[in-house]
Amino acid sequence: MSWAIEVNNLNVWYGDKHILKDVTFKVPKNIIFAIMGPSGCGKSTLLRAMNRLLDLNPYARVEGQVKINGIDVYSDNIDITWVRRQFGMVFQIPNPFPHLSIYENVALGPKVNGLVKDKSELDRLVKRALEQAYLWDEVKNDLKKPASMLSGGQQQRLCIARALALKPKIILMDEPTANLDPVASSKIEELMLELKEEYTIIIVTHNPQQAARISDYVAFLYMGELIEIGETSMVFTRPKHELTEKYVVGRMG
Amino acid sequence: MNKRKIIEKLMLGVISTLAVISAIPIFAIMFNVYAEGLKHVNLSFLIDLPPPPVGDRVGGIGPALVGTFTLVSLAMVIGGAIGFFTGLYLSEFSHTKLSQYTQMFLQIMVEFPTIIIGLFAYTILVAPIKRFNALAGGFALSIVIIPYIALNVREAYKSIPYTLKEAAFSLGVSAPVAYLRILLSTARRGVLTALLIGMAKVAGETAPLLFTILGTTFTYFGGLDQPINAIPLLIYNFALSPYERWHQVAWGAAAVLLTIILLIFIVSRLIVKEVKL
Ligand SMILES: Nc1ncnc2c1ncn2[C@@H]1O[C@H](COP(=O)(O)OP(=O)(O)OP(=O)(O)O)[C@@H](O)[C@H]1O
Ligand SMILES: [Mg+2]
Repeated sequence: MSWAIEVNNLNVWYGDKHILKDVTFKVPKNIIFAIMGPSGCGKSTLLRAMNRLLDLNPYARVEGQVKINGIDVYSDNIDITWVRRQFGMVFQIPNPFPHLSIYENVALGPKVNGLVKDKSELDRLVKRALEQAYLWDEVKNDLKKPASMLSGGQQQRLCIARALALKPKIILMDEPTANLDPVASSKIEELMLELKEEYTIIIVTHNPQQAARISDYVAFLYMGELIEIGETSMVFTRPKHELTEKYVVGRMG
Repeated sequence: MNKRKIIEKLMLGVISTLAVISAIPIFAIMFNVYAEGLKHVNLSFLIDLPPPPVGDRVGGIGPALVGTFTLVSLAMVIGGAIGFFTGLYLSEFSHTKLSQYTQMFLQIMVEFPTIIIGLFAYTILVAPIKRFNALAGGFALSIVIIPYIALNVREAYKSIPYTLKEAAFSLGVSAPVAYLRILLSTARRGVLTALLIGMAKVAGETAPLLFTILGTTFTYFGGLDQPINAIPLLIYNFALSPYERWHQVAWGAAAVLLTIILLIFIVSRLIVKEVKL
């Protein structure tokens, strides 16, 4: 089996605070992999460690390996921009560039990374990304309007389109529905099920029901340690660890 | 009305009166300058050479206007660029000791008497070649402007939400692209305002020019290594002269300078207003 991503003995500190402790797991390709756990257990930190966004934080320190296609993203001489382009990232709070138009928000990544030859190719790429994010029909007449005029759910789908337009291999989603109403949330969940045909999706959620609904594999993170990992159906019906059971049942019951 | 309410009203009255009083000088100055100066200003006043001290020729402030334009451009190119990148560094590397010390020194430098900066420029750019020159003036103005622009650009970049920074870098772009191409447009209001206010500041500076360009020349532009004039310096020199004719030119020049500075302020206000998302 070839893996989309392999994480080996990953440790992260913020200053002296040990946040992630010897986290090890593998994610198969073309599945939805959910990371669940209580607030503050290190889920967002784990995602940011994978695409090296953690490098932006001068107080963060990382040890261990994160491999994509067998290449350790923390090895010396690696091009961090290349690493980040392997991932598309969707954040907990929708963060489109508010001053840019809807079109520009999606087009910016391919443009600055030289992914397209000309304007018409860019137009096609933007359209396709917006279609994949199920936003095209709602915005196709407003492409020039600023992204800030969209609703929260639309902004989040715009951010998904922005991530898809980079043609990444893996999509990282940090509680993408945390700030959305149920209708917008279920739209994004449906969208994820579509997207896994083409991408590997790693989603962070602190909602076990969401993990149960959409994921194929699930990992349970607790106070920076990976407590349990497995096929979603197994973890939810027959958790191996007492903490997992408490978390799953406590929230679901 | 009870006693407390009356005291409150009274206090409010006093404070508002003080506020109005503090604004009076601005209007008084504007009125004074325009009343005395505006009548001398016309197109040829902006273009012509200064008049001889006596006689009928009206003359103008052409060389000083060209000079101010040259010096401000120099200050913006040298000081603006250095100030901008310093500010970016201060904002994005604020955790480093170097950045913390730099910021402290810049905060002191903002308050530096500008005449001392002029002396410094004299020492390193005028004394060695034994000639007052435009570059020395531009250099002095650059030093005046650097701390000002750096500290304000720092504020502008600091005000960018962290999530937008993450969004920019998550696109897999290099730091220059992230900061200059993507995030600069987020911070552009603050950055442009910093540059414009800095520009207004140096356009009106006199002290740093006293020892650097001297300002007595009647030529428009002779090269960066040659003397040049500037409006504030022309005002200073002409106003101190014993000639009535030159006093009039000084008043006209003051009106022009004030207008330039007011225009810059208006533009910067418009920029701040423009994007309210
Ligand atoms: N920039 C930072 N500096 C220092 N500590 C941080 C920083 N960001 C997060 N932390 C701490 O690291 C721990 C893990 O944070 P993280 O954001 O990864 O948790 P999370 O599982 O995503 O939580 P949530 O579900 O609330 O989003 C928390 O204790 C948090 O306080
Ligand atoms: Mg989080």
